Amino acid sequence: MSQELTDAIIEMREQDALRITNEMLETGVDPLEVLEACSSAMEVIGRRFEDDEYFISELILAGVMLKEISELVKPHLVQAAPTEKLGTVVVGTIEGDIHDIAKDIVVFMLDTMGFEVIDLGVDVPAARFVEAVKESGAQVVALSGFLTLAYDVMRDTVQALRDAGLTEVKVMIGGGQIDAEVQEYAHADGWGKDAMTAVNLAKQWYAV
Amino acid sequence: MSDAPQPAFVPSPEYLAREKRFYDAVSLKKPDRVPVASLAGFFVTQYGGLTNAEAISDYPRMAEAWLSSTKKLNWDMAPPPFTMFPAPVMELLGLRTFKWPGKHFADNSPYQFIEDEYMLADEYDEFLANPSDFVVRKMMPRMAETLEPLGMLPPLHWMSSGYTLIVFLAGLLGAPPIAGMLQKLIAVGEEMNKNNAVQAKLSQDLAEAGYPLITYAFAEAPFDWISDMFRGLRGVMLDMYRQPDKLKAAIDLFTPFAIQSALMAAQMSGNTRIFIPLHRGAGGFMSNKQFEEFYWPGLKAVMLALIDAGMLPMPFWEGDYTPRLPYLAEMPAGKVLGHFDVVDLKKAKAAIGDSMCFWGNVPARMLVTGTPQQVKDYCKELIDTFGDNGGLILDGAVDGVPPDSKPENVEAIMETALEYGVYS
Repeated sequence: MSQELTDAIIEMREQDALRITNEMLETGVDPLEVLEACSSAMEVIGRRFEDDEYFISELILAGVMLKEISELVKPHLVQAAPTEKLGTVVVGTIEGDIHDIAKDIVVFMLDTMGFEVIDLGVDVPAARFVEAVKESGAQVVALSGFLTLAYDVMRDTVQALRDAGLTEVKVMIGGGQIDAEVQEYAHADGWGKDAMTAVNLAKQWYAV
Repeated sequence: MSDAPQPAFVPSPEYLAREKRFYDAVSLKKPDRVPVASLAGFFVTQYGGLTNAEAISDYPRMAEAWLSSTKKLNWDMAPPPFTMFPAPVMELLGLRTFKWPGKHFADNSPYQFIEDEYMLADEYDEFLANPSDFVVRKMMPRMAETLEPLGMLPPLHWMSSGYTLIVFLAGLLGAPPIAGMLQKLIAVGEEMNKNNAVQAKLSQDLAEAGYPLITYAFAEAPFDWISDMFRGLRGVMLDMYRQPDKLKAAIDLFTPFAIQSALMAAQMSGNTRIFIPLHRGAGGFMSNKQFEEFYWPGLKAVMLALIDAGMLPMPFWEGDYTPRLPYLAEMPAGKVLGHFDVVDLKKAKAAIGDSMCFWGNVPARMLVTGTPQQVKDYCKELIDTFGDNGGLILDGAVDGVPPDSKPENVEAIMETALEYGVYS
């Protein structure tokens, strides 16, 4: 039934996925197996997104399905799901910008792919990024910004991290008007135009 | 005050020359040189010495800056000043759909659009059964604090008799929240009149200075109307899977609105160039299959209806439209002016070079962080790619030119048109 569940999620069949989840839980299947079936599905979905087969609607629906399934699984968990995380990423939309949807998708993908994510929300001042990195020990920061005003703010945020002594922390940037030239302008370490690039950069930087 | 009719506007030779240059390019005939036209907004007022916050609250200074900038930039069309939504009006309405500089953000921040589920997922049936009632009694209160008392109205069709006009309507008019709302709305109207008087004079001044106004009316793709205004991005993306038929019904409902409202505005203003901002159809947001099923039919129907009515649709293909080029090629030749953001230039030339005038597309980050020479080189590449049949109008890729563009970079666009864009 695990494979059935994985397939249902991959194929965006929400009602089937929920039905199979309930069947698995009612027949005493280990709830961790349910969660693993979800992870397998997300790997495939992530790849299809990279291959331009799946787009935003699939990522959003996948996120919704995973959340619904987790809610069904929670009461059945006798022990916490394995908490071994690949690394911590601090994510936020920069100060003065309130675009959040793309940032939320990045947060969701990083979380699903095994990272500990600290989501600072939107309109986040540089000082808060610095604080969050210091408190969590995160080695990777992801800055989201959609407006052209983001360029200077991203550069200032990167500078604030360096000024605070966080010279080894890696910073990636993303958003509508971001490209390699903006990365250079902002002195960031990487850039991406979608959520999977964020996941790949995080994996690369945490060497996992 | 004389009762004599106002003298009709007589366009100057410069005005007519600019208009001809623009329409020649649009219809893929070679004009005398490559035109430059832009939908710039706050760049225009910053170029004229105002902060964004000033531009949306001091109408006479905004108009002064707009006129002087238009002359100095000397583009072939005047950029559209009505995008300067008056902050006092938004304040009085208690509008929740935008946040703006001066009040929510720093003085030189742009407006930001607050997308939300102003219609919830389970409200399609209610909306489709009675769209106007739903908009007035449910959505308006959600979108604007001042309009919250509209939620107190009974179903509108109840007030279809003298009896219910007395009992319900007159009864409600006595309620303090409703009376308070009406007083605020009078103030909204008065403030908007102040703004409109300045805008009307500015339109006149721009025309008399020799600059046709690039656009006045706008239309949206019906999918975008539902996505931007009703369900939000997240909502509509889920609707495509969970309730596709209801989403399509809402899209069908708004297709005539997109057409009729644009025609109405065009008639009011005499300006037949219709701007169509586009959002969710860009590459990356949805597959070509989803584009074909949900997005393209409504948009295509709107554009064809506008063409039939003698209008010029000017869709802004925001985002990466490379995957959508085959659909753009379906539009009748020389009848649509396509504004491009990110697109593979060679593929665009191959797909639509013979049918759609290319408007754009100096990259935003080049205008903000680059150099005049980079801008000139990019414009030359555009001229080399699209100039052979005259089907090119130069502009920035996005937001016309971004507000924080370096002035010398923007000026480089016109310089290139004059130095390199003269057709022999």
